[in-house]
Amino acid sequence: MREFLTSQMGVSIMLAAVVFGVMQGVVAYSIYFERKIAAWIQDRCGPNRVGPFGLLQPIADGLKFVFKEDVIPGHVDKVLFVLAPTIMFVIAFLGLAAIPWGGQWMLDGKLVNVQVANPDIGLLYLLGVGGMGVYGVVLGGWASNNKYSFYGAIRATAQMLSYEIPMGLCLVIVVLTMGSLRLEEIILPQTEYWSGAIPKWNIFLHPLVFIILFITMLAEANRAPFDLAEAEQELVGGFHTEYSALKFGMFFLGEYAHMITASAFISVMFLGGWHLPWLPWAQPEATSLAAVIVKMMVLGGKIVGFLFLMMWLRWTLPRFRFDQLMRLAWLGLIPMTLGLFMITVGLLYFGLHRSWVWTCGGDAVILVLTLMYVAVSRREVSGRTAGMNVIGVGTAAG
Amino acid sequence: MTPETAYLLYFAFALGGAGVYFLLPRGEATKPAIGALFGLGSLIALALVLSTRIITPDHTTYYFYLFSTIAIAGAVRVITHPRPVYSALYFILVVIAVSALLVLLEAEFLAVAAIIVYAGAIMVTYLFVIMLAQQTSTPHYDSRSREPLLAVMAGFVLMAAIATRSADIAPSQVAGASTALNNASPIVLVSDDASGDSSTTMDEALSSSNTLLVGASVMTKYVVVLEISGILLLVSMVGAIALSRKRVPMEGYRPTAPPLGQIGKEVEPY
Repeated sequence: MREFLTSQMGVSIMLAAVVFGVMQGVVAYSIYFERKIAAWIQDRCGPNRVGPFGLLQPIADGLKFVFKEDVIPGHVDKVLFVLAPTIMFVIAFLGLAAIPWGGQWMLDGKLVNVQVANPDIGLLYLLGVGGMGVYGVVLGGWASNNKYSFYGAIRATAQMLSYEIPMGLCLVIVVLTMGSLRLEEIILPQTEYWSGAIPKWNIFLHPLVFIILFITMLAEANRAPFDLAEAEQELVGGFHTEYSALKFGMFFLGEYAHMITASAFISVMFLGGWHLPWLPWAQPEATSLAAVIVKMMVLGGKIVGFLFLMMWLRWTLPRFRFDQLMRLAWLGLIPMTLGLFMITVGLLYFGLHRSWVWTCGGDAVILVLTLMYVAVSRREVSGRTAGMNVIGVGTAAG
Repeated sequence: MTPETAYLLYFAFALGGAGVYFLLPRGEATKPAIGALFGLGSLIALALVLSTRIITPDHTTYYFYLFSTIAIAGAVRVITHPRPVYSALYFILVVIAVSALLVLLEAEFLAVAAIIVYAGAIMVTYLFVIMLAQQTSTPHYDSRSREPLLAVMAGFVLMAAIATRSADIAPSQVAGASTALNNASPIVLVSDDASGDSSTTMDEALSSSNTLLVGASVMTKYVVVLEISGILLLVSMVGAIALSRKRVPMEGYRPTAPPLGQIGKEVEPY
């Protein structure tokens, strides 16, 4: 029994159970933090009635989700209506399987990976699972048989298809730089240092790619300013208009789980995953249990940082209009990432793809070219053209 | 291949054809229960044929039977379901089951690539179109199969012919040891002359990573195919853009953007 528990299989199974359990709680509490941060930004108190500082609010919300009446309207496609939130929920959690949580662990004289699965194609696995996430939204919106829901689903599909292209190109750039699709092997070169001080994190190599990847991740997770699929002012609740009780809760939890997966992914790709410079426990050589726990906490801290950034953006930026969203992807991000991709391939040919000066220089060239094009093309930033029928110009309150 | 196995294989396909015939949507003439019974019989006969060819069954064998059953059942539902949205969803199920089979063949890269390309990109677009075309109920002419008998006969006779031909390959290449599979299967993209001295070192270097192997063979052995398919995709993309673009009259169009120094200052609020 002990032999099984200390093998990679046993560790993987235990870690899967732990990650799934912990993530349920983290997802519930991230909703609490979203509300607290919203309140903080809007100068309110936020939830503060249930328990000290409102800390029991997620439990109260969860109980409410469970005990509310589960309405299935008569005009819906019942099978898909029930299936959609399940797909959303399951897919959002599937991605967590490939995240390297804590490097390697010396257990009974053997090294095991603190990772549920360490496939050869970990990065592609995450990309594939992320691509499947759109089905929950699309099926939910269609099965509701409601115009608002369907508009939400259509918007979500078009948006995810568009933003998957720059996201894929950004990931290709990282893969070309690191030379591996295995997430653990993407972390390891990032644990070295430039001149003994600055960690070789990819964010220092390709800052522009990091920013673009973060933008596309926001779009893929349906977060503001890209949350057009559930724009309350236009579409009631978007794709989840008809959902209530536990099914709505599953959509809700799925969205936050998707955010956590995306944050963990981008931390691994650009911020060195569990690595923290100068902290002896967060180095690849440290393999004790304490080191594994410290590494998990480091990665968790990075995830929390990204979650905070996403929530901050949500309560700061206004939502895009749909044509602006499409133009940002197709005329902005895709040409930029294509240019970055070409530059990275060129640098790879000359063996300079890990040289800080050259990669940052390439990023700067692309950024300057984009800004010059934007200035020279003289398009209005809002996307208005001469023939466009603008509603509300000159009238009070739009 | 013995004649008994061949007859068993023919029998399996005959049963399968009958099952699909009864399952195809034809209004009241559809007999799902009979069709499912025939289909089950066909699957059992196929499993019997396959079981004679497995030398050393291990745990992957059970996964193989599980996922191939899911794939076959899903594929049957793709063509027999009267509602196109469900057909598309069953196709996604087939893609996922086939990806699982590819994982059993240790072709992880192809497995995930199939999911990304088919389930993640192409089927989303299909589903999108189907959903836009049909909101609630499917019209009568769109949910009936027109020539069920001929279609089933053509399909299953062809399938039986292909299956009996490909079953002549030695059993060691069909199931069992994964090394034999790797050497025999064109899916895993191992070069056929792996024993040749020139390619051995490369194979050894690449054997650690399936992705490297796929990349290397696509860029060396199959580079012409890659280029041609790239050009084909480009042509289809240009064609799609040319077909879908509307002709916009340009007479009334005047660019109204302000001069360079004024950008951002003249935009009216709305």
